[in-house]
Amino acid sequence: MLGEEVRKDTDLMLSTENVGKEFNGVWVLKDIHFQLKKGEIHALVGENGAGKSTFIKILSGVYKPSAGSVFLEGKPVDFHSVTDSEALGIRTVHQEVNLVPYFKVYENIFIGAERKKKIGGMAIVDSKRMKKEATKVIKDLGIDFDVSSPTLLLNASMKRIVEISKVLVHNPQIVIFDEPTTSLGEEERKNLLQIIKGLKERGLTIMYISHNLEEVMEIADRITVFRDGNQVGTMEKSEATTGKIISMMIGHDNYKHYCRVDKYYCEDVYLSIKNLTTDKLKAVNLNICKGEMVGIAGVVGAGKTEIAKAVFGLDKIESGSIEVMGKPYVPSPENAIRHKIALVPEERQAEGLVPNYCVSKNISLTYLKKYANRAGLINRVLEIETAQAYIDKMGIKCTGPLQTIKFLSGGNQQKAILSRWLNGDFDIGIFDEPTKGIDVKAKEDIYSFLEDLAEQGKAVVVLSSYLPELMSLCDRIIVVRDGRIIGEYTPQQPNAEEKIMHAMLGGGA
Amino acid sequence: MDKPTSVNKNQRIEFLRKYGTVLGAMLIFTIFAVVSKNFFTLNNQLMLLRQMSMLTIIALGFTFVMGAGGFDMSIGNTAGLINIIFAMVLISTRNFWLALGAAIACGALVGLVNGTIVAYIGLPDFIATFAIGSIVYGLKMLITRGNPIFFPADIPKIASFIGQGYVGRIPFPVILMLFFVVLVIFVLTKTTLGRRIYAIGGNPVASLYAGINVKRYRLITFIISGISVAIAAVILTSRLGSAQPLAGEEFLLDAIAVCFLSTTMFGDGEPTGSGTFVGAFIISMMNNGLTMLNVPYYFQYITKGVVVIFAVVISVVLAKKLKLKL
Repeated sequence: MLGEEVRKDTDLMLSTENVGKEFNGVWVLKDIHFQLKKGEIHALVGENGAGKSTFIKILSGVYKPSAGSVFLEGKPVDFHSVTDSEALGIRTVHQEVNLVPYFKVYENIFIGAERKKKIGGMAIVDSKRMKKEATKVIKDLGIDFDVSSPTLLLNASMKRIVEISKVLVHNPQIVIFDEPTTSLGEEERKNLLQIIKGLKERGLTIMYISHNLEEVMEIADRITVFRDGNQVGTMEKSEATTGKIISMMIGHDNYKHYCRVDKYYCEDVYLSIKNLTTDKLKAVNLNICKGEMVGIAGVVGAGKTEIAKAVFGLDKIESGSIEVMGKPYVPSPENAIRHKIALVPEERQAEGLVPNYCVSKNISLTYLKKYANRAGLINRVLEIETAQAYIDKMGIKCTGPLQTIKFLSGGNQQKAILSRWLNGDFDIGIFDEPTKGIDVKAKEDIYSFLEDLAEQGKAVVVLSSYLPELMSLCDRIIVVRDGRIIGEYTPQQPNAEEKIMHAMLGGGA
Repeated sequence: MDKPTSVNKNQRIEFLRKYGTVLGAMLIFTIFAVVSKNFFTLNNQLMLLRQMSMLTIIALGFTFVMGAGGFDMSIGNTAGLINIIFAMVLISTRNFWLALGAAIACGALVGLVNGTIVAYIGLPDFIATFAIGSIVYGLKMLITRGNPIFFPADIPKIASFIGQGYVGRIPFPVILMLFFVVLVIFVLTKTTLGRRIYAIGGNPVASLYAGINVKRYRLITFIISGISVAIAAVILTSRLGSAQPLAGEEFLLDAIAVCFLSTTMFGDGEPTGSGTFVGAFIISMMNNGLTMLNVPYYFQYITKGVVVIFAVVISVVLAKKLKLKL
């Protein structure tokens, strides 16, 4: 392909020249010269706030560029809406799953584009044809599936497939994937990457946005890096390494891979879970000790989150018991907090934030009583000062304690949620996917923050489906599968990574 | 603010979103004052304030419910039931404080039932409080057979003072209203109760994870709503000098209108104490002004509906505009 110098433009599917976007005098995107070749998988990476989303929104017609122009197969295009870009064959598979739970799968696939037939001059919905076409689309992805099943019952990865099918029935030329593997487990992730590669083989041109560099390295033909609204560079996969991408993303080379020395010892058992059985868990036994960092690994749906929920009293316990510091404990969110247990939930938006509250009100939420007198009157000055202290300490990027939290990036929101718990001097901290969907720099900050907590003698439990994270952070790693604990490993033991992966995925055993 | 060039466009939209409703109210006020001879007189303004006092107090309670993301459809019927309970206890005991206590207890009880069904059993608030409203309606009709209860001549003076009395030239209900407005603004903005209620309204799941007892707080909002209905009903009964089983029904639609107007002002899409006060003024001013202009009552309903939709549409459109820019 590199040899074909002639008519350079013809192998370009989409390109931009000098594209920029300005909001209120701030250029969030500057001089983007992006080139998407026909039939390639082109990964776009960058920290949160680097301008990826804005760029995608320009390509899909949500925003109009403030400068520069977009070319489709060499011809300038001017999108006024998403409909315009869709008409020219550009489709996006969004990060969030957006399906009607009570619809059948094929009804979701054809939502807004129902196939119709005419009976006596009246157009009615042609279910038969939709089923047939939907079956074909899904089958072409290499999946055998009954498209008449209710969407409600699908697992996360199948829902993702339905989202992709929704796009594919329109025969797009370019498909933009925005973080498609979020909330998928290891195995499901691999399957999805295979499916995307399959789309490429069918001649589709693909843009792939992800935080996960392993994925990017596995799937991309070329990689473009954005930083602070600038295009830092575009490279062939052959010339890229994870380290190189990371240094381009963060702009300096001090990426540090955390690796704890073995200092695991158990003096005091802080949290003891005995034969815990719930709807999703089966006889779970677990001891968490002072000052240790425990990883709980498992694919999505294995039961990690359910352990946290049971401890916090959010799932009903059928049998078994929980003890805190050797004393019986009745789980409920209030009781958990009274017993100095903290839980940072997985779904930051849905379970963590009060979106319309400012940063300071979000930080003070759990331990609000600390800021109030007996009558319940809040000392707002103290509250704001404390929030400012956390903003400085955690490096939360915002305009100040009074900025509404929904306008912060994911990583900064996560730091605010962590600050909320720091307020209260907890002993046992449970962190469910603490670095999900946040950028490299913020991840680093959160890792070192978690380490500090363990240093201080707190028991730190990290739930994650991203194994490298647990391998570098934790003293020991407990593997959960199908609601059971099926093994415990230390990162130092030989071939730990393979063994854990094997345990997580079941490996046919 | 003098130089329009220095004002950021976003700030202008934000200003409009927060104060647009107030500006609209001022515009309507000015129109009434110009068109009607009797509208902008001290007597009429004091009457307007007295008329709005009951609606304001009910809407203040509703503000708690709506602040926590809930809805209470039972308030109109509950007002009628409390009219009767208050009058019956007053007449049989001749003790105002006992009657007041019974009224508040009755309001709190309805709130407790609403809150338990909604927060603890988990029924949708709209349906549950609507059904409770229906039961309450049935109860008050059962008690009175639809007949009003008139006060005898020898009831305690204070029982008529509450609704009819004056302090200087100021009607006493107006003083009560101002007291509750200040109290509610204080509670909602300065205390842990208010903070937690709005947190629940903003994100109930996150509030649960943050350790807030969401069920208990939702229950509390319904009880507050019930009590505020009781206070308004006592003023109403005192003012009328009789308990009318159907009096107070119009409070439901008006209070909903007030709270939706309230969400369009000052806050970020949640009703506030001050917003509710201004909203109640707008609705009452429309009722009063249109009556002054001899507009038939059915036309008042249409106008009110249009004004509410207009206000909400404008605030939603402006909020959207803001979000897109950010």
